[in-house]
Amino acid sequence: MTPSMSPGPIYVTRKFTFSAAHHYWQPRWSAEENARAFGSLTVTHGHNYVLEVTLVGPVDPITGMVMDLAELKRVVGDSVIQRFDHADLNADPLFAGGQIPTTENLVRGLWDLLVPKLGGDRLHRLRLWEDPTFHVEYLGP
Amino acid sequence: MSGFRLTRAYHFSAGHRLASAALSEAENERVYGQCYRPHGHNYVVEVTLAGMAADLGALDAAVRRVLLERVDHYDLSGAVPALEGVITTGENLARTFWDWLAGALPPGSLERVAVIETANNSFEYRGETSRSPR
Repeated sequence: MTPSMSPGPIYVTRKFTFSAAHHYWQPRWSAEENARAFGSLTVTHGHNYVLEVTLVGPVDPITGMVMDLAELKRVVGDSVIQRFDHADLNADPLFAGGQIPTTENLVRGLWDLLVPKLGGDRLHRLRLWEDPTFHVEYLGP
Repeated sequence: MSGFRLTRAYHFSAGHRLASAALSEAENERVYGQCYRPHGHNYVVEVTLAGMAADLGALDAAVRRVLLERVDHYDLSGAVPALEGVITTGENLARTFWDWLAGALPPGSLERVAVIETANNSFEYRGETSRSPR
């Protein structure tokens, strides 16, 4: 007999890492304007990104889990890590429209890739660290 | 949610394995994979209280008495009577630790319990009985 436990949702967070290159360039601006706005970011460089994926949901009474984390690893691996690890973000279709691959734009793009796989009810938050000093959180549109 | 929230982190090390009595051995292996094997973690538990008047000494004493002394250097899946029948996933530990702590702390003060199983996995319970809309 399973002892009774507080009901209600649990927030599960798993961390993933990928390394990618990018540069900031707004084609509608002159080279001088780009240099003024983005400085050294106009030159291609890279980061070790850390993505924290937080799911929320009820705990399955049989398994004791919100979601099998091995399955989450497969989903994020297939949708995000394989695509962006050791890749140039500026060359990815996500930024084909000329959007600048800022952490803000990237985290929204990752949300759009993950939400159909994980479900809008279950995907609670993405936190994307560009480096250990800077991160952006996205809770969905 | 407004005002101050205070979070203190605690550590304990314990053994466990994930296995459900409702599942066969083959099903347990399939569902839990490597976690079906007896193993252990250096757990971190974060306890978050509402308000700035929290007495850290009292909090430490309560956490030590109702939580750390029960689990530190024990096998969670068999050697802790209070966890009898609990599949010791991070999800279930977060809820169980909440229940232990809520009874030992000033009523209404507990805001959040997070169980950090490894540097890559964490599980939080915020005392919600159902999910509030985003």
